[in-house]
Amino acid sequence: MALLEIEDLSTGYNGVPVVRGLNLTVNEGEIVALLGPNGAGKTTTLLTTSALNPILDGDIRVLGKSVKGRRAHMVAREGLAHVPEDRSLFFQLTVKENLKLGAAKGSANLDQALGYFPALDRLMDRKAGLLSGGEQQMLAMGRALTTNPKLLMVDEMSLGLAPIIVERLLPVLRRIADETGAGVLLVEQHVHLALEVADRAYVLSHGSLALEGDAKHLAANRHLLESSYLGGAELEPSD
Amino acid sequence: MKGSLTKYLQWFFGVGSLVLLLWALVDSNTRAKFLTGPGLTNGALIAAIALGVVITYRGSGVVNFANSAIAMYVAYVYAVLRKDGDLFLPPIPNPLALIEGVVHKLSPSSTLDLPDIPTRISFGPNMQFWPALLISACVAVLLGLVLHFLIFRPLRAAPPLAKVVASIGLFLYLPAVIVRRFGIQPFTVEALPMFKPAKRINLPLGISMNSDELALTIVVIVLTVLLYAVFQLTRFGLATRAASENEKGAVVLGFSPDFLAGANWVISTLLTGLLGIFAATVLRTIDPSVLPAFIIPALTAALVGSFTSFGWTTFAAMVLGMQFGLVKYLEAQHHWYPKSGNGPFPGMERMLPLIIIVLVLFLRGKSLPTRGSISSGRLPFSPTPPRWAIRYGGPALALTAAICGLFIFGPTFRLALANSLIGIIICLSVVVITGYVGQISLAQMAFAGISAFLVAKMTTEHNVPFPIPILIGAVVAMLVGVLVALPALRVRGVNLAIVTLAFAVAIDKSVFGNSSVNGGFKGAAVKVPKLIAQPRDVQYNILGFIAGDGKQPNPMTAMFCLVVVVILCYAVANLRRSATGRRLLATRSNERAAAAAGVNVSGMKILAFAVSAFIAGVGGAVSAYRFGSVTPDKFSYVQSLTFFAFAYLGGIASVFGSISGGFLVAGGLVFTVLSEKFGVPSEYTLILGGLGLIIASVRNPEGIAGAVRHLGLSLRRRRAAPDDSAGDAPGNPHVGQHDSAPTISDVQEVGAPS
Repeated sequence: MALLEIEDLSTGYNGVPVVRGLNLTVNEGEIVALLGPNGAGKTTTLLTTSALNPILDGDIRVLGKSVKGRRAHMVAREGLAHVPEDRSLFFQLTVKENLKLGAAKGSANLDQALGYFPALDRLMDRKAGLLSGGEQQMLAMGRALTTNPKLLMVDEMSLGLAPIIVERLLPVLRRIADETGAGVLLVEQHVHLALEVADRAYVLSHGSLALEGDAKHLAANRHLLESSYLGGAELEPSD
Repeated sequence: MKGSLTKYLQWFFGVGSLVLLLWALVDSNTRAKFLTGPGLTNGALIAAIALGVVITYRGSGVVNFANSAIAMYVAYVYAVLRKDGDLFLPPIPNPLALIEGVVHKLSPSSTLDLPDIPTRISFGPNMQFWPALLISACVAVLLGLVLHFLIFRPLRAAPPLAKVVASIGLFLYLPAVIVRRFGIQPFTVEALPMFKPAKRINLPLGISMNSDELALTIVVIVLTVLLYAVFQLTRFGLATRAASENEKGAVVLGFSPDFLAGANWVISTLLTGLLGIFAATVLRTIDPSVLPAFIIPALTAALVGSFTSFGWTTFAAMVLGMQFGLVKYLEAQHHWYPKSGNGPFPGMERMLPLIIIVLVLFLRGKSLPTRGSISSGRLPFSPTPPRWAIRYGGPALALTAAICGLFIFGPTFRLALANSLIGIIICLSVVVITGYVGQISLAQMAFAGISAFLVAKMTTEHNVPFPIPILIGAVVAMLVGVLVALPALRVRGVNLAIVTLAFAVAIDKSVFGNSSVNGGFKGAAVKVPKLIAQPRDVQYNILGFIAGDGKQPNPMTAMFCLVVVVILCYAVANLRRSATGRRLLATRSNERAAAAAGVNVSGMKILAFAVSAFIAGVGGAVSAYRFGSVTPDKFSYVQSLTFFAFAYLGGIASVFGSISGGFLVAGGLVFTVLSEKFGVPSEYTLILGGLGLIIASVRNPEGIAGAVRHLGLSLRRRRAAPDDSAGDAPGNPHVGQHDSAPTISDVQEVGAPS
């Protein structure tokens, strides 16, 4: 069973659709990259999956249950972890407190999260607001991991980070997917880096699916990606 | 360098206050006055209110100015249940009364009597302690839920101004309900049954107090420890702290910020209410004006605790409560105590909160929690006054007012017109500071009062001729305004509201309450030129028309006010149109961006405070000339809040808004129409004003002016649509004005028959 099934999804703001007719699945232990130019509707898709934004048409099923009409915090409690674009850290709380908030089931999850991001260990008593950008991103991901998620969504991890840090963080996602069996849905602007760790990728353009396929295949055929980014009209049929 | 200086000062003040405290405790005379039962009771009451404030701030980011009013309200519920067995209800509008009124108007002989909405639910002659406590607790919980769901949840993403306004609305509304139901006289409350008969307890160090006084203190301290534990150690507390900072972050972790905020509101109102009841039974009396004033020391205490630390909050609250007795003792005993006239300088115990607030803000400045850095909703729109409103709209309104005041209105409405005109002046001063620059000043009537009392002094003791005292008074008010602006350079939003409110209270008690200033019971007399003196039975012949009906008040008084209003309205409208006005607005919307664009942000704030205090000073001076005397009640801190309320209701960000606000003020035209034509009693001014303020802050932050503007825009769009399907045709002059959003002009558009 797929962890996440998005079916004919239309969603947007104030009744105006931004994403139209999207179909997408994420399976266990799989990293799926959601790519596309600015304004394509990637972040909107993630927000809607978290029930932070209403569905206009179609359906989203997380772990087999539709999120339609459900409260966002209830969806989160059932094993969906979302690292939003703005990271949504609690700047006034310490790193430890930030992590503790996720770890409902005790310290085992906390230790596991720290295992992936050992750099956080020496920052435990520092306020989150005082961390550097990279440290904040680690904390945001670590905090999401403490909830022991079945499905992890990471939005623009690279935002405001040096490429070298992104190169270090992305492989951690691969480890998480392999070791915990969680499905990962990754929104990313560094396309080539994302395709290195991902299993499959979807490319959104102006709210509709322009391209989908195996990550390796897409990485090898750059022209497919370029044409989907630069406009759907010249798109060749993908096999 | 600067950091180390601050650190040094912090140490200095920390050690200094410790030494003072030790002195108060070690010297047996002062200790006996410091550690008293009544002092501890005061302190516990302040702590109760302050703890509630801290809880709601941590839970929902709202600084609840009305928490003292909540304590008072719940205490009244309990007291009335115990005494009469009645649960009183706030006034609820009855649509049937309207039908009844119309029927009686059409046929005066009819005996139609439709059912009324009850004002109270009776449970018998009087109620036992436990059921009364239970019902009061339910009311407190209900109050918390209402506050959360109806007021502060819809305001979640609103700028701090809207939240402050809503809680001020509540602060005005709750006591107004009590006044409506029980009058302003104090209400006696019996001691709790377990503390009867009263027992005196002797403690070491020669201190003795009643058992209930001691019990209240212990309860407050225990609760403080408990709250600390809950917020520091439990998941609920941690989640509350997290959600108050970043709602989305809490949601994606599976917490409901809504639930957390609501739960904290209920905890806060319940705690405040129950402790309020306990304190009321210890004090044996409650009334609707003294208890709400405890909000100033309570906010001070909460500020000392940075709105987060329960321990520091309670400690500061206890000290603030206990110092009352000590100050009174020092006042009577010591020759070094500051004197004023024959007596000791009054109101020093009210000065202390202000001094503490200024010190805390000065020393901690930006480290104080400021929320809303992420989500700040739209500020009230501040339209540029359009040229034709300035050329035709303004003069038309002024002429209408003049004709009404001179020839049409009778005595009652002439008084109302003068009240409204002075109201417009004060509202204008609020528009400049809060509407244009976004700085919340709750001390406008303190500025006005300083000027008014100065006018009284100048005219009676120094014989300064007529228009000059207005200018001098206003300039002095302006200088004081600049002084108050200095903290505004370091703090913003709700913290500034607290500073200015504490300033208003301190000035109220120590300057206006000073008998060498306020002229005692009759007020300070003002020598008024004969032409504009209000109590004259005169008529004037103006170009063959007879002005006035030969009764008081003198119509020329209102004309004098009108002239000043017209001058100030044009000044403020032009300020908005000028480059300075744009700089002010830039400062309001984003200080950093404004600074980056080359705007001197500090300069703009000081300028706005100066202009605003100057206008308020003119208002005070005009009021002094109008009444021929100056009394402190007109310039109390509650008046500052009330005028702020009406300015916001009218529309905080435009000249037309302050004109609307002036119509609404107590004793102004709108309420005079309501009371003269519809028999609405005057207590309803604050009930409707407070309620209106809450509703306006939630539903329509642009006030009446905004509502009129939107109505005008939608009417025009509708009218423009059929004959102008192409949209923005250059030939249609109206279309181009849609965005520049006229104010006064809209009224005429709407008022015109269509």
